[in-house]
Amino acid sequence: MTTQFIFFSGKGGVGKTSMACAHAVRYADEGKRTLIVTTDPASNLADVFEQGIGHQVTSITGVPNLSAMEIDPDKATQEYIDHAMAPLRAAFPPQMVQVMEEQMSGPCTAEVAAFDRFTDFLDVPADNGGAFDVIIFDTAPTGHTIRLLELPSEWSQSIDAASAGSGQTCLGPAAAIQDAKHKYERALTAMRQSDQTAFVFVLHPEAISIKETRRAIAELRKLDIANFRLIINGIIPPEGAQNPLFAARTKMQARYLAQIDADLPYLKQRMSLLAGEIKGVERLRQVGKIFFDGSSAAKTFKAEQVQPQAALFATPLKDVRALLQPNGHRRTVFFAGKGGVGKTVASCITAVWLARQGHKTLLLTTDPAAHLGDVLDSPVGDEVAPVSGQPNLWAVKIDPKAAAETYKERILADARQRGRPESAIKVMEEELDSPCTEEMAAFDKFIEYASQEGWQAVVFDTAPTGHTLRLLELPVDWSTQLDVKIFASVETTAADDVAKQRFGKVIEIMGDPEQSTFAFVMYPEATPILEAWRAAQELGTVGIHPGLVVANMVIPLGQANTAFTLARRNMQEKYLVEIAERFQLPLAQIPLLSHEIKGLAMLAELGEQIYQNDLTVKEPVTGVAIYG
Amino acid sequence: MTQYIPLSDLLPSPAKTADVEFFDPPMCCPTGLCGPTLDQTLLDVSEMIVSLQRDNLRVERYQMTSHPNAFLANTEVMKLVIEKQMAALPITVVRGKVIKVGAYPELTEIKAKLNGAKA
Repeated sequence: MTTQFIFFSGKGGVGKTSMACAHAVRYADEGKRTLIVTTDPASNLADVFEQGIGHQVTSITGVPNLSAMEIDPDKATQEYIDHAMAPLRAAFPPQMVQVMEEQMSGPCTAEVAAFDRFTDFLDVPADNGGAFDVIIFDTAPTGHTIRLLELPSEWSQSIDAASAGSGQTCLGPAAAIQDAKHKYERALTAMRQSDQTAFVFVLHPEAISIKETRRAIAELRKLDIANFRLIINGIIPPEGAQNPLFAARTKMQARYLAQIDADLPYLKQRMSLLAGEIKGVERLRQVGKIFFDGSSAAKTFKAEQVQPQAALFATPLKDVRALLQPNGHRRTVFFAGKGGVGKTVASCITAVWLARQGHKTLLLTTDPAAHLGDVLDSPVGDEVAPVSGQPNLWAVKIDPKAAAETYKERILADARQRGRPESAIKVMEEELDSPCTEEMAAFDKFIEYASQEGWQAVVFDTAPTGHTLRLLELPVDWSTQLDVKIFASVETTAADDVAKQRFGKVIEIMGDPEQSTFAFVMYPEATPILEAWRAAQELGTVGIHPGLVVANMVIPLGQANTAFTLARRNMQEKYLVEIAERFQLPLAQIPLLSHEIKGLAMLAELGEQIYQNDLTVKEPVTGVAIYG
Repeated sequence: MTQYIPLSDLLPSPAKTADVEFFDPPMCCPTGLCGPTLDQTLLDVSEMIVSLQRDNLRVERYQMTSHPNAFLANTEVMKLVIEKQMAALPITVVRGKVIKVGAYPELTEIKAKLNGAKA
């Protein structure tokens, strides 16, 4: 039979890996030769299967027919560079070899390398020569996945254009890449076959999750991919809805389930929120019984017993406040973390709190999918504007697409003014129609705000992790590149010097803990912690270290009063301890609420509760149903 | 299973008969449009190449990372690279002869050499 491909997509923490693994185990148990592959740098396949996996196809113990592989993007890149550099080391002088290696360590090589491994699995013979009947991709979270999937069509275009033009692409000479092009085309063709490939979106019945899914599906549709399925995960079961907080959340979920039915016309399946973690083959089989056979979650799923350990992770809030308030000079606070973990909420709460403390505060987002306006309940545009109803607070949204347009117009106007001929301007225009321009333009804006005078506090609701890292690493990369340029004896222009000074200033601000605080937001769950940790490690390589961790959606102790909520609270406590031990940083906690955070009044109240009120256990403050 | 996407011209390439060859220094992209600031020199070079191509001349650009073999194949270029290292780049070659080292030439310089070469 033709190999079937199933892609699992969704943000960190929605249960994507668990669902992908449960499917893999089920197919293998049905006798299908199954492979599960992850391209996620924060993969926890090994944790779920409770065995080592790594960068090669590995048999899973206890499940005949099942194999797994974790594609390590760093390792793939290194293999790649080594392969390409081996013959050059001998021929070129060491100084030049070093420059070449630096060049090859760029993001372009990393993407090529990761994608290369990814297409290896898609490019299987169409007849029955394939080693697997089903290949499941536990893909990297949405934004990154889309980029990976978009690459083939972009590359095809750029390869065609290069063959016709100068013969150059960012990836190498056009002729050399022709062979690889056919491989990408075959991969994309396979992805477009509805009878061969399915895209499964795992989502929660929540506004952001729905919005993200809709956006991701729209992006894939543009690439002529059409076979979509949804798994709505985290549905509170009847035994879970027996206290006021979870009962209120059940009602909220019902509204969003209705919205999903109305907005997303695809095959849908539901999966219950469980009282414990999905780990090990036996629990994956239990999940399969619940998901595929409709067994009762309460009767089927055997959760691990976890001891409560609430007392271990209380941070004195004065330590948290000290990291957020301006102390003599301006304070810049960056909220980092995967999309959907609550960066926007955390940054809105913090910005409102700072403004209420009397600091002139700018709140800004570089996230293309930002919903800042929704949370503030007040429109936010691409110009800095005061937030009505909250003195001292201003907000702005950097839209990469809009920024790219402005940037492009500016460059072309400049070229015309310099008297460049139309033929050259046309070439420039084509060159500027690249994703690279968007990132550069967004970054240009980021620098502009990051170095703007006059604010006492600037709060960045940053873009999702991978994107953020690249955005934030750019100033360092670019200034290194400028060094290389000088080193390479290409004439340095005055403009380069100005740019270098500008970047230097921002790098200095970002790396100084007295001026900048990087706050990592995460759910107290395995994957989100691992993702945040990895992101923090990567930032560390550019000399930036996190100062604060924020745990979101923490079930208040007072609500851990049924067997179900107590089991989940205990699980969270285990992970709160892990956060505290791993990061060794002050920890702020945002409680799980009965409804979504919206509006200045609610933000102000949460700010008081999270940053002012040193009691960790608290009864509802007012009638707005905040449980803390 | 691994079939590497070739990032460079590691396989021996057929003998080149380009009229003008540029051995570029390491750069983000040859158009000069994707650095932190626009490199007007590189924009001038791109323009010059378009102009040469309009005259039906064959122009090639090489970078060390993507075209190491082009460097290795030209003994005169490799001699300069080993001697002067980065300071040698860019090197401009017209009909197989090095005409400029360490900076890009003007269009008129290239034209003069091309005419000279013909003669």
